[in-house]
Parts: sequence; C-alpha cells; structure tokens
Amino acid sequence: MSAAEATGLSGGGPAHPREAAALPALERPRGVLAASARLLRSELRLILGRRRNQAGLLVLASVPIMIAIAIRAEGPGEGDGGPGLISAVTSNGVFVALTALTVEIALFLPLAVAVLSGDAIAGEANLGTLRGLLAVPVSRTRLLAVKYASLTIGALIGVLVVVGTGLVVGGALLGLGPTTLLSGTQVPLAEALLRVGIAAAYIAAGLAALAAIGLFVSTLTEQPIAATITTTVVATAMWILTTIPQLDWLHPWLLVQRWPAFADAFRDPVFWDTMRTGLLVDVGYAAVFLALAWARFSNKDVTS
Amino acid sequence: MSFFDRHPRARWAVPAGSAALIVAGAAVTPLAATADDALEPRTAQELLVALTEPTTTTVSGTVATVADLGLPALPGDMAPARGPLALAMGERTVRVWTDGPARQRVALLERSAETTLVRNGTEAWVWSSADATADRYELPPPEDGAKERPDRLPGTLPRTPQEAATMVLDALDPTTEVTTSGLATVAGRDAYELLLQPRDDRTLVERVAVAIDGETNVPLRVRVYSTKQADPALEVGFTSVDYATPDPALFTFTPPPGAEVTEHPAAAQQDLEALAGGLEGAGDDAEPIVVGEGWSAVLVATLPVDGLADLAESGSRAQEEWDGQEDPAATALALLQAMPTTSGDWGTGRVLAGTLFSAIVTDDDRVAVGAVPPDVLGAALAAR
Repeated sequence: MSAAEATGLSGGGPAHPREAAALPALERPRGVLAASARLLRSELRLILGRRRNQAGLLVLASVPIMIAIAIRAEGPGEGDGGPGLISAVTSNGVFVALTALTVEIALFLPLAVAVLSGDAIAGEANLGTLRGLLAVPVSRTRLLAVKYASLTIGALIGVLVVVGTGLVVGGALLGLGPTTLLSGTQVPLAEALLRVGIAAAYIAAGLAALAAIGLFVSTLTEQPIAATITTTVVATAMWILTTIPQLDWLHPWLLVQRWPAFADAFRDPVFWDTMRTGLLVDVGYAAVFLALAWARFSNKDVTS
Repeated sequence: MSFFDRHPRARWAVPAGSAALIVAGAAVTPLAATADDALEPRTAQELLVALTEPTTTTVSGTVATVADLGLPALPGDMAPARGPLALAMGERTVRVWTDGPARQRVALLERSAETTLVRNGTEAWVWSSADATADRYELPPPEDGAKERPDRLPGTLPRTPQEAATMVLDALDPTTEVTTSGLATVAGRDAYELLLQPRDDRTLVERVAVAIDGETNVPLRVRVYSTKQADPALEVGFTSVDYATPDPALFTFTPPPGAEVTEHPAAAQQDLEALAGGLEGAGDDAEPIVVGEGWSAVLVATLPVDGLADLAESGSRAQEEWDGQEDPAATALALLQAMPTTSGDWGTGRVLAGTLFSAIVTDDDRVAVGAVPPDVLGAALAAR
C-alpha cells in the first residue's frame, strides 16, 4: 500500500528531481495507473456511501418488487396497455426483471445517471473539493476519465439492482424456471439468465452514453442540481421526440430510440441488428460528449 | 508541452471533428458500396429467365418492408401494430429462413412482440406472442407438378422478395415494358435490376424495380413506384442475406406451456374456402366483375349482406367495447370514416385515393378497387 502510494506520488510530481531520475522509466506510467485506480476506488466508495444514492437504489429496487407483488396478486395483465413483454406465458422472475427494466429506462434509470453525473464535477465544484482533487497527482484528462469510469460503473450497478431485484423477488413470489421467448421457443433458465445479462449490459451501455452527456453538462456549471435537471430533461425530451411521427427522420439519431431493442435478445435466434446499431449510436454519443467534456474541463478555471 | 497546452481553444476542434465524422460516416455508409462493373451486363429477357432459375433454395436474412400506400392516418391506438395488416402501414422488419420450398420460417418483428410462422412440410404453425396463441394448420401435400407456394396468410401483401417477385411476374403480360436499369447493391450483394413499366398511362403504378442477386438469381428487393411521388410506395427488400443452410431446429415448433393451441385440420380449411366462395356468390348481382384490363383493370363487386350498415354496426360496437385488443371491424370502420365522400354519375360514396391503388365504396354497397385514380373507378362504376 505504502509502496504503491510512493510510486503514485512520484508519477505525478516528484519532490526531488533526483528521486524521479532514480526510478526506472517503466515505473512511471504504472504509478499513474495506480493513482487512477486508487482515485476510482475512492470515487466509487464516495458514490455508494452517499445516503441519497443509497435511497436512489432503493427506489430503483422498489419497481420490480411492486411488479412482482402486483402479478402475484392479480395475475399477468392482459391488454391493460402495460409493457406486455412475454407476459401471458412467462409469469416468473425473468418476466419481472424485464418488465421492471422496460418501465425504468423511461425515467428512473436516466434520472439515477443524471444525479450521479451532477455530483461528478459540478458537485465537487460546489463543495469546493474540486481544487483539492486536482492536487492529486493525476492530470485533468485522467481525472475526467476516472469520473466517467465511475459513472459507467454506477449505471451498471443501477441496472443490476433492477434486474437482480426482479429476478430474486420475482423468483421468490412467482418462481424461476424455463422461459418462453418472444418467438415461442422455450429455453432453460440458464439460457434465459444469459439473455437477461445481454439485455442488462445493453441498457447499461446506453446509460453510459447518457452519462457522457451528463458529465459534459456537469463541467458547465457549479450547481449539481442544474446539471442533474439538464441531463434528465435531455433524456426525457429524447423520449418525447421518439413519439412524434412527423420527426421520424430524427429518430435514428436519438440516443434513447433503440433502448427498447433489449427485448430483441429474447427472440430466437437473438436478433442482433438493432442492438448493434444501438451500440454504435451509444459509442457516437459517448465519443462526442466525452470530447466536449474534455475540451471544456481542460480549459476550465477551477476557482473553488 | 503539447499542442493543446499551447492552444487550449483548439481542444474544441476534437468534439466538433468527431461529431462531423460520425454524421458523415452514418450518411455515407449506405452509399459507400455503390455497384461497380463487377457483373456482366444481362438483357431483361435473361434476367426474367434467371429469376426462375435460382442457384440456391436456402435463403435467410432480414427483410425491411416500407409501405407508403397513402392510407388515411388512423388515430394512434387504432392503427394495427401487429399481424399481416400492419405490414401495409409504415416500416416493418421481417426475418426469414428458407430451406427449399417446404420449409420456411417467417418472423414478423413487433415492439416487444413477435408473430412467427413456421412451415415444415404439411404442418404449419402461426405463433403470436402478444396473445400467446399457437395455431396449427395441416396443409394438403403438394401435388406433382403443382406450383409450390409458401402458405399464404390473410392479407395479400408480399412478405419476402421471392413472394413479391412471383406476384409481379404473374401480372406480366403485353401491357408491360420490361427493361433493365443496370446494377444495384442490395444487402451488400451486387445485383441486376429489372424494370417493369406499365404501357397504360391510366394506372397509378409508375414502375416496378426488381433487384436480382447477380450470383444466385435470388430476388433481393422489389420497389413499386407510384406516379404520385418520387419515393417508392412499396418496398420489400433484404437488408442482410445469407445463403447458408439454416439450422434445422428453426423449422420445428413446439407450443410453449401456457399457450392457447388451436388445431386447423386440412379439411376445415377446404370448408373455409367453400364458405368464402359462398359469401362471394351471395346476393343476386354479387359476382365481382372486372372492368377494363391490364394495369388499369377495375374490380367492381357488391358488398355481402348489408355491407356498410353492417360494418358500421359491428365497427361501432367494437369501438364501444374497445379494450386495447385489435378488431378488424373497428379498424375498417375507422378507415372508412377517415375517407372523404365523393359523388359522380354512378352515385355517391366514400373514396380512398392511395398511392398505388384507389377504392370507392358507394352508398348502395358497391365497391370498386383498382391500381388507378378514383376517376377511372368512377367510370367503371358508371359503365356497370
């Protein structure tokens, strides 16, 4: 631990020039990496330790619990305008997890990402801790990369909480077993779980792209609530735009347009086309907004 | 000291540049694979023959259908979201697997739902995930020399390029000028393009373009152009295609537990056809007649029983009881009510002026349909 810290420190700004010269050339990038890893660990501890984030995870988890209880009490909804995903045949934990995912990609999951990204830069600036962070021996670019990595992991944790709670609570109340796909094929539980994993990873990737937008917004302001609201508005506005048929030329360019394509993992065989295009859109958004965040953050005067 | 340290404002060029690259990349990709002179030129006659001699019977892939038939827009919830009728509206994605004439699987993709048709020899299944129903059909064994056809579901719109090309070729006669328009690229394959142009200037069909794979002679895309607009009014084409033999497991279907299974024995189907025939023959002058010929032919028929009134009654009943389930009667009534009224020396009625076809439903329960503008329909009704 202390040795790693020493190399980490020397990687950024050695106290004595002689000390740096004495280090083997290969040690230095490893030192920077170690410092970044340490920063990421402390960042994740910070995110998971915040009371409001823990409360947010509880909210995310409450949706699959409510769905499972509702199905247990009422039976699967038929023609009630609900998500309807393989509902009529698969009233088990897998269905609860997927339905919860369908419900939460509209608002709760984007909101969670928006809260985290609001805290990422704007929150630190607001608290006056950003200056202190910049004293850590990592460059601003690396700090931004660490922040983005922690947002991505945060988004993944959010999705896993939704899916995991759905599987566990749904499994406890309705049972877990062979699952019927949209194509009418029944697959064993293990394969169904693998497909749930694909869907979760795909949604997490979409949320990570939204986090890039959030990170950029977060570098623009010192008010975390402003960054959170802006990011939520961006996500919600895109959902609204997807419902306006007159704007269909715009739809392929909207980040959220292909998020519901996670259901294509439940066709037989898996229909990859839409998810592949969706991932390309995710990567495009992430690239542009990370570059924007980088340009803004490197130029930014950090005064607090 | 790096470049960006000396010129911090230059950093903004990075996001601007990447955004420009992404937009340009997305715009150029479909055009990038423009057809070159990879294929020997072929005459229209050679192409027509080639169509009947595909070098493979195993075709799989993803098909996109785009329909802009000019049907009136229905109130959001009333528009059919699934099933064959949905193919007539907007853009749809269909996955097909074919292994010879007797083994097919067609999946109509819908948002979080799927209608799957599986045919294996004399057995066919229709699975609908939305209501968890599985219908099993027994098909008569193919007769020797009889033309093999993929089993047709209600609705006559082509689902695959093969089906569409067959339908177009059936309609070919001296009324049509057949040429080639050179080469095209469909689903990444070099293809010939066959052009069919009606000689009759009264029809709404401007031309039909059929793209044929240069290697396998498999029709890859059919586009039907209307005289009313520049974009195709109907397009059915592969977006990706694969000629490998599909997994045999795809052609077997076992209804999942909990599914509602309905059996349709072969005999019942014949009864159904007889019933349909009886309905058409009902009434004194119900026998449909065809006025004109070729591309401008108009079908004039009398609606069975009390036609409009009956439809209106069952339609409004369905609308009252509407509970989110789709009802063809309600959809038909909504369509009818969305049509403008029209009149002529044949009487009054409602008219549907589509991009590829028009229809007139008269107040005295006659209906005229054809690939012509409404005034030609009116003339046909008046001549009757």
